[in-house]
Amino acid sequence: MPIISADLTHAGGMPTAAELEAKLLAGQTLLAETPNHLMQVVDVLESYGEVLDAYSKNLIYQAEKQFLNPLPIFRYLDGDLSPAKIWRHLIHDRLNFEYAEYCQKAMFWHGTGGLDAYLDSDAFAANCAAIIGRKTRRDPMLALLHPLFPNFLQELIRSAATTHALGQFWRVMSDLFLDLARAEKDGQLSTVAAVVDFLRQGLVAAAAEPISYGVELAGERFWVLPPEAGLTFLADVAVPYVEAVFLRGMPFLGTVSFNAQAQQISPDQSTFTYGALFADPLPSMGAGIPPSLLMQDMYRHLPKRLHQWYLQTSRGEGDVRVKICLSFQKSMFCVTNAAIAGTFPFQLDNPDADAQAANRAYAASWAARLSSSRTDCLDPCDL
Amino acid sequence: MLSILLIIPFFGATLLLLWPGLPAPGRMRVVAIVVLLLQLAWSLRVLFAFDSSDGGMQLQESLVWVSSIGLDYKLGIDGLSLPLVLMNAALTLVSIVCTRDISQRPRIYFSLLLLISGAVNGVFLAGNLLLFFFFYELELVPLWLLISIWGGAQRAYAATKFLIFTAVSGVLILGAFLGLALFTGTVDFSITPVLSEKLAMGQQLLLLGALLIGFGIKIPLVPFHTWLPDAHTQASTPVSVLLAGVLLKMGTYGLLRFCLGMFPEAWVLIAPWLAGWAAVSVLYGSLAAIAQRDMKRMVAYSSVGHMGYILLAAAAATPLSLLGAVFQMISHGLISALLFLLVGVVYRKTGTRDLEVLRGLLNPERGLPFIGTLMILGVMASAGLPGMAGFISEFLVFRGSLEAFPLATLLCMVGSGLTAVYFLLLVNRAFFGRMAITPPGDPVADARLDIRLAAVAPRETITATALAITVIAIGLFPAWLGRISETASTTMAGLPALLAALQNSGVS
Repeated sequence: MPIISADLTHAGGMPTAAELEAKLLAGQTLLAETPNHLMQVVDVLESYGEVLDAYSKNLIYQAEKQFLNPLPIFRYLDGDLSPAKIWRHLIHDRLNFEYAEYCQKAMFWHGTGGLDAYLDSDAFAANCAAIIGRKTRRDPMLALLHPLFPNFLQELIRSAATTHALGQFWRVMSDLFLDLARAEKDGQLSTVAAVVDFLRQGLVAAAAEPISYGVELAGERFWVLPPEAGLTFLADVAVPYVEAVFLRGMPFLGTVSFNAQAQQISPDQSTFTYGALFADPLPSMGAGIPPSLLMQDMYRHLPKRLHQWYLQTSRGEGDVRVKICLSFQKSMFCVTNAAIAGTFPFQLDNPDADAQAANRAYAASWAARLSSSRTDCLDPCDL
Repeated sequence: MLSILLIIPFFGATLLLLWPGLPAPGRMRVVAIVVLLLQLAWSLRVLFAFDSSDGGMQLQESLVWVSSIGLDYKLGIDGLSLPLVLMNAALTLVSIVCTRDISQRPRIYFSLLLLISGAVNGVFLAGNLLLFFFFYELELVPLWLLISIWGGAQRAYAATKFLIFTAVSGVLILGAFLGLALFTGTVDFSITPVLSEKLAMGQQLLLLGALLIGFGIKIPLVPFHTWLPDAHTQASTPVSVLLAGVLLKMGTYGLLRFCLGMFPEAWVLIAPWLAGWAAVSVLYGSLAAIAQRDMKRMVAYSSVGHMGYILLAAAAATPLSLLGAVFQMISHGLISALLFLLVGVVYRKTGTRDLEVLRGLLNPERGLPFIGTLMILGVMASAGLPGMAGFISEFLVFRGSLEAFPLATLLCMVGSGLTAVYFLLLVNRAFFGRMAITPPGDPVADARLDIRLAAVAPRETITATALAITVIAIGLFPAWLGRISETASTTMAGLPALLAALQNSGVS
């Protein structure tokens, strides 16, 4: 049997946890510093920014206008029920908003951070009671459902709260990514390190932005996430989002092949590693795999420069979604890199031994998690 | 009219050999394709001139050649040989179209392919035993050269093995033909049934035994099959297509035309043993296929199994089973050609055919999704799923043979089920799962391997697509093929002597 030609396979490097920790503590970028990486990261984040803009608008629309609608069949139309829009929806000439919902479900299910804690609080329960009381007064279907399933509407409100919070998070991230692309075009950014720093600054600037959510029922405003809950962008939404979508994710049939009876999926969901940083860029034949949906959406908004480069590599248009996914993972490592850099307990150049020990422990915990992720994409390669 | 079917390929081969200068390989390929298109067109003309209601030889041509030794130039065609002539033209065309990047001696390569096509036509059209033998031997050396020059790393071994086996086959067949002349005391080598009044049963059995082993090697039947997997493994894809699609059919054609057609009395006597032999061949071929890890060897062993169905059908010798035998020859020719084409593409793109190495080639973006789709279709057809050619042929064979030899037929049905087993193993291992072309080692590291296979261009799939469409067309509309062969198979099964023998032996 002939030996397999070496040029048919490419194995990216797999840095150890110690190497990753050293890079994080040294303030270096995880992604290799190359001009091509800069182009891939900036352009793919630009397309991601465009997609997130639409996702954000839709999630906020769903949370506000489709609130407590048990059969929201028009929820992807953003309130535009024109025949042209419905036709485009039916022939699937649209973004895959299902991916946004998948991320919302992941956040909702993994439930980490301050937002999830607030959703289980008495204050939230009181808000829900008021909202349900008003809503069931005019809606006979909900009036019937609520006594039969007392937790159902409250759970729907929890879900809507997560939806709105994610919409607000993506609003900020979309603007940040589009600003990043503009800055790079203006010549303000010329290295991967500068990109990571730009993202870090953006995240730090938005860190304390309040997260609130209210709905209007019969002309009266009700708070679901009131400002006095003190929920903020970074701690209560961004960090849970990274945990749920970048790291943990959910094991989809098609994304991974697993046998639940053989305990191949951990019963402890905190140890899940099915998030975006762990995703296999090669689709393994399942239909409707969420990451593939996102790649398809980004493909619709791909900047010309990146598209032209993709056309010159490997199969050109034929495997463009795989290449988008590889570039996307590179960019997500930059975002994670920026988030870690922005959340170190102390400045990296702090000479205090305790501060250094705390930073080391923080970097080590991240490095341990990232060492089993798709770090092979961090090396330069021609996709 | 039939002579044109010999003149076109032989003239084409000569033309290529004598072509002045050093023409580019691409131009030679085009010339060969044009010649084969002409051959296919003329074969279709013969089809339109053919009267399907007549079960005997038609469009006969006769010319006295070397009458002192009984070698006359006699050609004829009937419902048994016409489909094979059509398939020969089509599959030779396929094998030349799928020949790419031939840099080594292209002139000889294309000439040899045309020469083989002409010789195979001669085999199927010959109306004289010696003329049949002449063409039967004529294809031997070109095929040996095609394997030994354009084959794989072990080509010398495989080609020599093929040559030795097939030469022995030729010697046995010639010996039987000469023995016939010796026992009957005439030099009449025309193809007519030999009856008891001419030869004693012992003599008939002796001659029939020699022919059975001779054609059994060519078909091949267990235990004479060992040359086939080696030849296929080392042969290039176009040669494998020809070998499986057309050349093996010379053996099954000989089985029906000469063994059953000329020795019907002796045939009835040994038919139960032949049915048992068929079952052994089918089961052995299928079980051996399951054990293979080389995709090409697996397809080759599947041929050994599927050829056994034809022996079963011939042993039963009912009109339905013989019609099934014709269908099986055609469907096996098309399906195995399709499978070899697809395995060839996989090998060209990945550099391996090892089922322990290949994984997930159906990957939609970076794998070979269309090739995988056709492969699934091909294995479904081979396993006899309804709607495709394999189902029609297997159903006819089993239905026609069940009453005559129930046990052997049931065992062959098990073999049909085993086809699904080994081909599902093939598809599951090579095409499903996470894409990889490396032996499984470290699961984490392997899951990160980026595989870079060249995309399959649409032109590389034209031939396989055409074959797949034909396989489905025959499965959905079997009547057009049945119409050509039905009368001939009924005539063959209804040979008066055979009928009498059947009645005497109490088999209905």
